Amino acid sequence: MCPEKTGAAAVVNKFRRLESLKSFENVYIDSICIHYAKITMSIAKPLLDYAKSLKPQKGFTQSFSAFKRLMRYHRRYPWYLAAITILAVIRSILFSLEPLYTTFIIINVIGPPTNTSLLPSYLLVIILAGIGYAISNFVLTFVHGVMSQYIVRDIRTEYYRSLQGKSFSFYDSVGVGDLTSRATVDLQLVDMFLRTWLGTVLNAVFTTIIIIVIILPINPIMTLISLASMPFIFYFTTRLWTETMPLFRNMQLIIGRLSSYIQQNIIGMKTIRIFRREKDIVDGFKDVEDIYVNTAISAGKIQSIYMPLGPAILTLGITLVYVYAGLTLGIPGSALAVAQVGDIILFARYMMRLTFPIRDASQTLGTWIAAYAGLERVLEMTDAPRSVEDLPDARDVKIEKGKLELEKVTFGYVKDRPVLTNVTFTVQPGEKIAILGATGSGKSSLIYLIPRFYDIQSGSIRIDGTDIREFKLASLRRQIGVVLQDVFLFSGTIRENIAFGKPDASTDEIVQAAKSARIHDFIESLPSGYDTPVGERGVTLSGGQKQRITIARALVGNPKILIMDDSLSFVDAKTEQEIQSAIEEATKTRTTLIIAQRFSTIKTAEKILVLENGSVAEFGTHDELIAKDGVYKRVYETQFVQKASPILEETGGS
Amino acid sequence: MSGSYGTFSTKQEEKRKRTIPDRVLIRRIYEYAQANKRNLQIGVTATIIGAFTGLAAPYMHAIAIDQIITPKNLSGFIWWIPIFAAIILGNYVFQYIQTYQMRIVGEKVVAKMRDDMMEKLQVISLRYFSEGEAGRIISRPTNDANTVRIFLRLGLTSILVDVSSILGAFAIMFYLDLRLSLLAITVLPVAIVLVWYLGKYSRAAYRRTLITTSGLTARMQEDLAGIKVTQAYAQEKETEKKFLKSQDENVKATIRAILIGSSYTPFVIALRLIGTMIILFYGVNALLAGTISLGILVAFTEYQFSYFMPLVDLVTMYDQYQSAMSAIERMFDVIDTKIEVVDAPPERSITLQ
Repeated sequence: MCPEKTGAAAVVNKFRRLESLKSFENVYIDSICIHYAKITMSIAKPLLDYAKSLKPQKGFTQSFSAFKRLMRYHRRYPWYLAAITILAVIRSILFSLEPLYTTFIIINVIGPPTNTSLLPSYLLVIILAGIGYAISNFVLTFVHGVMSQYIVRDIRTEYYRSLQGKSFSFYDSVGVGDLTSRATVDLQLVDMFLRTWLGTVLNAVFTTIIIIVIILPINPIMTLISLASMPFIFYFTTRLWTETMPLFRNMQLIIGRLSSYIQQNIIGMKTIRIFRREKDIVDGFKDVEDIYVNTAISAGKIQSIYMPLGPAILTLGITLVYVYAGLTLGIPGSALAVAQVGDIILFARYMMRLTFPIRDASQTLGTWIAAYAGLERVLEMTDAPRSVEDLPDARDVKIEKGKLELEKVTFGYVKDRPVLTNVTFTVQPGEKIAILGATGSGKSSLIYLIPRFYDIQSGSIRIDGTDIREFKLASLRRQIGVVLQDVFLFSGTIRENIAFGKPDASTDEIVQAAKSARIHDFIESLPSGYDTPVGERGVTLSGGQKQRITIARALVGNPKILIMDDSLSFVDAKTEQEIQSAIEEATKTRTTLIIAQRFSTIKTAEKILVLENGSVAEFGTHDELIAKDGVYKRVYETQFVQKASPILEETGGS
Repeated sequence: MSGSYGTFSTKQEEKRKRTIPDRVLIRRIYEYAQANKRNLQIGVTATIIGAFTGLAAPYMHAIAIDQIITPKNLSGFIWWIPIFAAIILGNYVFQYIQTYQMRIVGEKVVAKMRDDMMEKLQVISLRYFSEGEAGRIISRPTNDANTVRIFLRLGLTSILVDVSSILGAFAIMFYLDLRLSLLAITVLPVAIVLVWYLGKYSRAAYRRTLITTSGLTARMQEDLAGIKVTQAYAQEKETEKKFLKSQDENVKATIRAILIGSSYTPFVIALRLIGTMIILFYGVNALLAGTISLGILVAFTEYQFSYFMPLVDLVTMYDQYQSAMSAIERMFDVIDTKIEVVDAPPERSITLQ
């Protein structure tokens, strides 16, 4: 029954021995098993395997294509790009003036010959250039920052929009925590890169060019010596990049998985406590964290080797300038000799000036390493295909009666592994069909096919004779009321939650829906009535109250077709009775498909559909099926008659 | 409403001021680092020595100008080159040790804190989870841990390097020429006061971005948790509208923070230039009067760079420091949460038969 027989099964058996617990046993075990399966499967092991399977790969080409992708987002802001380029040129020129004028002071003011009258004007140029540099730097930083925020916004919006369109199967396989962390933590890394990257790259390029233009005419050999170190610096920076990038990427991937691990841990905390799996959770976490820490330290080791190399090489280069100058200073008649001490200082200072742009550029490469990993994770989801989409000729169709026909419907989450095979049945307008079946018999899958949460592989589903794929998705879904298995309310008022599917619903409509869902009186009893906030900082609602609100939510649009996954387990008798009455009232005039757990629900249904291993085993009225003497009769007799239990025994069994 | 604990896991977090003094937090972090005491000691020592060796280069250049090049005493290179090479090599080695050891310490400390949080989350009252927003609780071992990790990786070493560079540069400058040094540092108090005051606005703006970011995270978390409902009712457009509004608030707050954050650099640069001006003006006159040498003047202009930029760096680092401190406080908030129901150890539990 449970996917893993060891831990969970033992506990389940323990429960089984408790006679008093028998009544809710099956549903309870059912839901625990599902939970348990999720947790066990997501507990450390696969995560650990995943973390271990991450091999450092040199992803140069990938990184390049991600960069091109990022460029596309930049294209929407041509004016910002132009402004940044112009400001970068101005900034580089002003940045390079100070050493030149300092040297002028040394050569022309100090001399020989000494000429102090020139000093104030040189100082004035230095200070004006400095102020100009400061202002252009400020404007550049701001413009760059604004552009980065717009681009991050664009990427995130695109990501969010794509998520809105993803199908249920997508959300069945990806954790909400992971998805959120991609839009926040990962995009933050992209943001860090976007804030300064272009300015930094342009600065490095322009500053190098301007400095070469200034120093080359003074002494070509010294220029060569000064620039000789640059290729080495570039080479080691690139090594740093290519060697650490895959490690950072792995760290990013592991942290994303860890986030969803933590998320599942927090959401499933009750179940974990019940099964006393706390230690496993923490141990599993620690194992993965160890891999993470080791990866981070290896990356740190590589960084510690290459990062200080740049400045070291540069300082050596400056030393070479001193040595060369010292050896050739004042040799008469040689064009390649150094003319005066001031020139040495000029070259040395320019080399110092070059360190900053090169250092910043290598830092930008560093932020790109992290940004690339983050961007890749965001785009991975943005690009994931949406499996359910509007067909090109889809249209708005009004559902008039609510007749539902399924013909030879075959469906599977994975190709060639059908969950439902050749399902055929027809529901007349206003009829209520109760669906029974064991866990895994395809009950939920079946009802979720109607609003196209998943697309069928073959066969057809028709509403009032029109294939549901001819409907526009929004048109189809708005006309079908859905009560999902897990009751989810958004933070906001009760009114907002009930009117969720129809935000412009009148108070009358809302109250009517609440009355039908048998929740109106409760809402009225709250201090702020319909405007009472729910969720965090709001009232705490019981499971039954939540479910009745979700039923009210489904009724607001007065849908012709209603789909209910009524699997709420272990509620007390009074709540049970209230939900029952809500369901009865809600389904009176509508075509309804309901996954039933209670005999009272089954009793009021016009017809009963028994699913077994993805196929329709039996379909008919209660009396017909009893007369048929098949699965239903057996279940009915063992569960509802003998024990008078409101819970349906699993029919399939495994 | 949430009572006395777990405040950080709810929306009230945004309004809550920090209550635990920094020194308490730092001491506790230091306790966490005790497991890697050796790495920490080696790392800190290497950082300080590394910063000092980095300062030796301009001084060596001054010596080259004054004692070798100007007097044309080229044989001086015979001793100058090996010393200089040794200093560079030493600088490299110390920086290597520093980066590596400090990385080990940083990663291990954060990992340990994260483990402790995870362990605590398994035992604290379930009330904590029903009262807090899941998104905010998840934020503790993920976002907050990451902030601290980055701070320990970059911020902490920067602070050590900056402080040693500043002190080292001062020491050398005062050794070289007392009068010029005093003149050179006249702009310092002005710079510190200015950066501090502008930094206050910047910090307020930065805090605002953090709040809007966690609001955005919570919004996203809820939208995705309820995505099936949203899709079932075809309300994607409506939820998107709300999301975009929340995102716009975040974008606006961030742009404001960038504006304020970048506004003080022009002042800092202007002040540095005034400093350079003073050094050049008095330096040239002193040089002509024969009280200092050319090499020392050149070294001074270089050292002015060596203390001014780290100083600005330090002041701006304050933001990072602050956000790391709040993150650390929030993480300890989880670690310190009182257990309401203490369970018997598993071996003493009774098996139901």
